[in-house]
Amino acid sequence: MLDNSTTEIDTVSIQHILNKNKTKMKLSLKVCAHCTMCAESCFLYMIHRKPEYMPSYKFINTIGKIYQKKGNVSREFLEKARDLVWENCVLCTRCYCPIGIDIPSMIAVGRSICRSQGIEQRHDK
Amino acid sequence: MEISNIFSSALLYNLARGPLVWISFLVFFAGSIFQILRILSLTKNDERIGIQAKDSKNKKKPAKEKKKEAILSWFQQLKLTIVGVSPIMIIVTTVFHICLFVVPVFLLAHNIMLDDAWGLSIITFSEKTADILTIIFLATALFFLLRRLFVGRVRSITSLYDCFIWIIATAPFLTGFLAYHQMFDYRTVIVLHMLFGELMLIAIPFTKFTHMFFFFIFRFFVKSEYSLGKGNRSWY
Amino acid sequence: MVKSERKPIEEIKDSIKGYKNILNIGCGGCSSVCLSGGQREVNMLNAELNTLFKAENGSQKIDGYTIERQCNAKYYYDLPEILLNYDCILSMACGAGVQLAAEIFSNKPVFPAVNTVSIGIDRDIGMYEEKCRACGQCVLGYTAGICPVTRCAKSLFNGPCGGTNGGGMCEISNEIPCAWHDIYERLKEQNRLDDILKIQPVMMWQNQVQRTTIQEPYKERYGK
Repeated sequence: MLDNSTTEIDTVSIQHILNKNKTKMKLSLKVCAHCTMCAESCFLYMIHRKPEYMPSYKFINTIGKIYQKKGNVSREFLEKARDLVWENCVLCTRCYCPIGIDIPSMIAVGRSICRSQGIEQRHDK
Repeated sequence: MEISNIFSSALLYNLARGPLVWISFLVFFAGSIFQILRILSLTKNDERIGIQAKDSKNKKKPAKEKKKEAILSWFQQLKLTIVGVSPIMIIVTTVFHICLFVVPVFLLAHNIMLDDAWGLSIITFSEKTADILTIIFLATALFFLLRRLFVGRVRSITSLYDCFIWIIATAPFLTGFLAYHQMFDYRTVIVLHMLFGELMLIAIPFTKFTHMFFFFIFRFFVKSEYSLGKGNRSWY
Repeated sequence: MVKSERKPIEEIKDSIKGYKNILNIGCGGCSSVCLSGGQREVNMLNAELNTLFKAENGSQKIDGYTIERQCNAKYYYDLPEILLNYDCILSMACGAGVQLAAEIFSNKPVFPAVNTVSIGIDRDIGMYEEKCRACGQCVLGYTAGICPVTRCAKSLFNGPCGGTNGGGMCEISNEIPCAWHDIYERLKEQNRLDDILKIQPVMMWQNQVQRTTIQEPYKERYGK
């Protein structure tokens, strides 16, 4: 396990993951109409009723921002992203999108990026 | 006013109704084909997997199983879908998208020009009908804008980009409406109408308007629990 | 993950007969993934049951609530307060979740709405294949990743029986591939045929008595 409290973010490894999934991820991010119709399909949103639990919010503020910044993200950002992709999502894969975007795969790529920097699911909370 | 002079200038007028029409349609068609192929390339056609009889209790099935009567009526089943979850949004968006498509295609003014140019005569709405449909469209567009600005959860994922997109989608209809009713300076408004229409056509393949293709390809041809068709494509 | 399928509606309805206020608890884990007991299934089942209740003009009513997982008590934090309004629980989780719910809410009846079928993989949308019987004595390392317990009708450990016919099919049906035939073929492909030359000892069926698994780093904590 990396002692990641002071380790630099390895942008190259993030960019490697971004490039592997580039077409699908970027197209999905582009085509998202920001309509929020995915919200009610997420049982976590239905429990908490907060925007942070909407599937679209989750992927826009993790993988969306990571692509926007081309992988140049801070550790602080990734730690917030960790909460979105692990605390706010259980990857139950039931997200609905009227356009048909494959949301679980976007969360999975987000998790994979976090893991590449030693940022993993917290079990100590 | 200077700006108005620019928009009513003969140069811009002739550009807008001439070469820009061709360019915008060309970009629209080429871009759309490119996007459709790109979207399709993200998925592959799967062989439909036959049920493999690994269940040792698999005896010969009875000739015809009596179809069980559904407990829920079609209406109740509909209520369990997104239509029941957000009925207003679904109705508004359906009306919006229908008007978005039918108004420009079946507009009398557009088709007169088509007839003049290529002798193509297609069915059109009466001017009154088109007017009403445009007003309905503008009302639904306003609903979307207000929703985007004032509903918390939508605002949380809204950016300036969404507002620009809204303008690009609504402006052709608004300017067309104003031009038809000859409000403000006709020449300026009609040039703006043409430019916004062309801008929208060009924007379709390269912005979130691509959901025009995405929707049909994914909801009908890609496997998913929410699939609307018997699609056999899966993501790579 | 654990694969399950919903029980027939008549069976479910029969089990909750007589209870006025029922809470249908969905599970965001395995049940959601295999499309048997997630939020969507909870809503669908509730719609069906409420329609049937209404038709009987009875006073029964069912509501739904889905939690992350039912196999871990920490995800039950919301439920005690909610359950004050209900006199019984219908659970769409697997057998493990139903039992934990029954233990935690021991003063309320808990009924399962799904049949837990297997530990399996996602073959395709809506299609799930059993892969593991949780025997506790995994030999997959010797059998090229094909489980003889699950795939072989007799759960043989040391090669096929005499009934495997010429086409590599199982004695019990022409449509079931013989597990040992497949194991042989795959080991041959990987040049590992030696693996099945070792005789595997008789399976000490470890799943006859309830097992508690304690991971190595925690053995001291639980005094084992």
